[in-house]
Amino acid sequence: MKLRRKLFLASLVTALICTVALSGCSGNNNSSSTSNSKDTSNAAAKDDTKTENKADNTANNKADNTANNTTDNKADNTTNDAANTSTDGQITEFHQSPALDSQNLPAVKDRLPSDYKLTNEMTEDELKYEVGSYGGTLRTVTSVANWDADVFVMDNEPLLNTPGIQGEKLTGNVLKDYQLSDDQKSITFQMRKGLKWSDGEPVTTEDIRFTVEDVLMNKALTPIFPLYLQSGGVADGAPLKLDVIDDLTFKLSFDRPYGGLLIRLAIQGWRGYTELLKPAHFLKKYHTKYTPLDQLEPEIKKAGFKKGEWVNLFNYKDITNWKLNHSEAIGFPSLYPWIITKATKSVTTYERNPYYFKVDTAGNQLPYIDKIESSLVTDIEMVGLKTIAGEVDFSRESASLVKMSLYKENEKDKYKAVLNNMHVTPTDIFLNLTYKDKNWQKVVQDVRFRKALNLAINRQELIDTIYYGFAKEGDIVDPTFDLDQANQLLDDMGMKKDSSGKRLGPDGKVFTIPFEVGAQAPDIVPYTQLIVEMWKALGLNVTMKTIDQTLWGQRNTANDLQATVIWMHTPLWYMGDWGQSMWAPQWDLWHSSSGAKGQEPPADVKKLYDLIDQALATDPDNAKKIIEQVKQEMNKNVWAFVPLSDVKQPLIVNAKLHNIPSDSSFAIATDFSGEQFFFGK
Amino acid sequence: MLNYISYRVLQLIPLLIAISVIVFIIIQLPPGDFLTNYVQQLKLAGNDVSESAILSLKAQYGLDQSLIVQYIYWIKDIVLHGDLGRSFQFNMPVADVIWPRLGLTVTISLVSLIFVWLIAIPIGIYSATHQYSILDYVFTFLGFIGVAVPGFLIALMLVYFIFIETGVSITGLFSPAYVDAPWSIAKLLDMLPRLILPIFVIGMSAAASLIRVTRGMLLDELSKQYVITARAKGVSEGKLLFKYPVRMAINPLISTIGWTLPALISGEVIVSIVLNLQTTGPMLLKALMSQDMYLCGSFLLITSVLTVLGTLLSDILLAAIDPRIRFGGVSE
Repeated sequence: MKLRRKLFLASLVTALICTVALSGCSGNNNSSSTSNSKDTSNAAAKDDTKTENKADNTANNKADNTANNTTDNKADNTTNDAANTSTDGQITEFHQSPALDSQNLPAVKDRLPSDYKLTNEMTEDELKYEVGSYGGTLRTVTSVANWDADVFVMDNEPLLNTPGIQGEKLTGNVLKDYQLSDDQKSITFQMRKGLKWSDGEPVTTEDIRFTVEDVLMNKALTPIFPLYLQSGGVADGAPLKLDVIDDLTFKLSFDRPYGGLLIRLAIQGWRGYTELLKPAHFLKKYHTKYTPLDQLEPEIKKAGFKKGEWVNLFNYKDITNWKLNHSEAIGFPSLYPWIITKATKSVTTYERNPYYFKVDTAGNQLPYIDKIESSLVTDIEMVGLKTIAGEVDFSRESASLVKMSLYKENEKDKYKAVLNNMHVTPTDIFLNLTYKDKNWQKVVQDVRFRKALNLAINRQELIDTIYYGFAKEGDIVDPTFDLDQANQLLDDMGMKKDSSGKRLGPDGKVFTIPFEVGAQAPDIVPYTQLIVEMWKALGLNVTMKTIDQTLWGQRNTANDLQATVIWMHTPLWYMGDWGQSMWAPQWDLWHSSSGAKGQEPPADVKKLYDLIDQALATDPDNAKKIIEQVKQEMNKNVWAFVPLSDVKQPLIVNAKLHNIPSDSSFAIATDFSGEQFFFGK
Repeated sequence: MLNYISYRVLQLIPLLIAISVIVFIIIQLPPGDFLTNYVQQLKLAGNDVSESAILSLKAQYGLDQSLIVQYIYWIKDIVLHGDLGRSFQFNMPVADVIWPRLGLTVTISLVSLIFVWLIAIPIGIYSATHQYSILDYVFTFLGFIGVAVPGFLIALMLVYFIFIETGVSITGLFSPAYVDAPWSIAKLLDMLPRLILPIFVIGMSAAASLIRVTRGMLLDELSKQYVITARAKGVSEGKLLFKYPVRMAINPLISTIGWTLPALISGEVIVSIVLNLQTTGPMLLKALMSQDMYLCGSFLLITSVLTVLGTLLSDILLAAIDPRIRFGGVSE
């Protein structure tokens, strides 16, 4: 008995110690998320003097900084705003969030670049922009540690911008303006005068020079030069050449036409600004060209690297775009609207960047919302519960169409569930044309086979069962549903049926299509189950296996997947994603390595690759024409099955949140324009 | 006795080495590593991750080294510096991730353990001494439900009903305002009502099985000769019961300490996921899924070491209580 008592005491002491250890971690209190707004736009001191910072719209200038937007927005924003602007549309008086009043910062006018950027370039049918009021905390949820896709998209600032992420036109963003030469072989960029990093240091062409010359061109820091910065965006193009003209102007030149770089800098791949623009004043402290190695040693040791490994230290200190919202980015100079200030295991806090370069038409520095708090939950299902309990102010990434009725049922006055457009196709079907089995290749490389399978897909059934009618038949591949014609095509190929009604391959054995899918989205598994049944109707032996997502990725890279289902980014045409890496990994490898690796594709596929390359290398207007040709090629050859398009994506927003774009825009574009959200009364 | 203990302790050393090797092999078995997983996730979201960035990250995290080298560095840091390595997903030292969660886990497990003992042992004793009475049937019935229905299912249903009836969502141990607040009376008071649900859910199935065990053991004891003798000698019924049979009947509590200790640390994984508790269980699952190698490695290692220590502890306790075991261990 005594021993038991001792044991019990010991456990209690252990618990006590753990509680003490537990209280050692964690920091300050959260503030509540009420919106204490102060309508600064009412401050209406009239000042009509022209400022020196008139936006100069050069002849060749597609980047509309001020003029367009001001006229667009003036209509909505009535008298108060006009009071702050001079006759030529220049804003002369600026306002800041009350949250910054006590922080001992320079005046807001001096923190903003004189070439400030006016927000909202969306058209009025996408967003009726309102001038907002300051304050509040936006609560988001993520199920992935150290990563919140919603905050990433909201924060992301590319060098150039494309309104509504449509790729229709290109405007300035971090960079003020660009001029593309007539032969598309060089682009001259203007930077914003007075633009500052979040620590108040100026952003100049020295930052660009440092990034290109000292980081990108340094073999140790960049062992593999980024493909998209090579002329034409292809492996055999020469790397870009940089000329710094003055403090605010620089020129990039190529050995072949490459106007397509503009769209790649604007949006493709969510690159943000960091790949061409790094804070040189901060990073020079970790670069041996500017700081001798022996001075770096203590830092190297502190970061846990071995002696002399300054490259690892530099890469550790240099926060690239997709890591700017990670905990390691605390203290790293950034251009984002909100910068990460605190990260615990359960909540990450982002606070407004006092040097953010965007303003609204009334001269209010953005963002309107002071703070973002992103909570980490253990399971994606918890996001649903938190959402319907009204504990989430914005959620796109974790919201799914499957749960739309649940969201709607619990809507009340806490949040709204709206439907926007999805930026990916809703799940496409791929047969691996380069899978290493000869028998398989012989069948799937026959266009008749792929056409037959395409004819056997009942699109309406998919739309009704999986997407509740919120999708359309895709227009990339012919949407006809005709089983007789499909069977006829298979008969023509000589795929006979055996006694049990199963079709045989050229080797005389039952031909099998083994689907292997991961559950990357909730629609993938039920979708594939339907496809399996539809294709079985042709007498084919179709099987399906759900595998772990990591294993799926591994098998895909190793060319081991024979048939699978995943989405593509075709609605964002500039992604250049036509499923090449899914339906032909070996050919795609040949293409991306300029023939060094992989297998050489047949002529028709080469033609497709060529068209994609052209589209990505030329300016957007031209590109869109070429994309039409790409679609025709896809239709003619049915390399991949793209049965559906225009699926809807639910978006959860706090009922008080304003400046949410309408349902005609991409949900991800709504997310992207987060700096203009504000809490109404 | 001392002989016995030192003999058992010495046995532990090769065992622990073997465990650490097995743990490391197990976490390396699934395809890929944290980085491939992470990069794939980014790529599916349309992000463009350059080959250069991947290479530099590989070097930064030491993932380009061979497995043996990785193992040696890992174990060397643990043994020499007490450094468990770095968690990739949280990007902070493993110790900083594990210890704060451990406090909560131990609290919940300990409280539910006490809850289980307080409920189950009296009921078990009652059931045994009042065999085939109405209450015995009632407890038996409830007990079987408790054993049969998985904890997570009960948790799901309770979360659902509580939300539907009251509009309160039980998502975690703290209301949002207190999640990252430092410990204070207010935070404790905020936590207490939220603690009831997980303790009830976690305790329910354990209590049910413990009732059955206690009842069975006690029934065995009660029919033994010494009980009959004592009763014949006129020992009062209460004293008779608690002096020997009950002590023997709760023997399983002591002999299972070996499993109780790691269970205290790892918590009820699925229940914790359903209830979104900030405990170690969900963290381990997530670490395993995203192949956060040092985090899950350290965690599995800690749990294994605790199992070993727990077994040692229960062996020693049993040896202290029951001399037959002591002599059986070192008979020569």
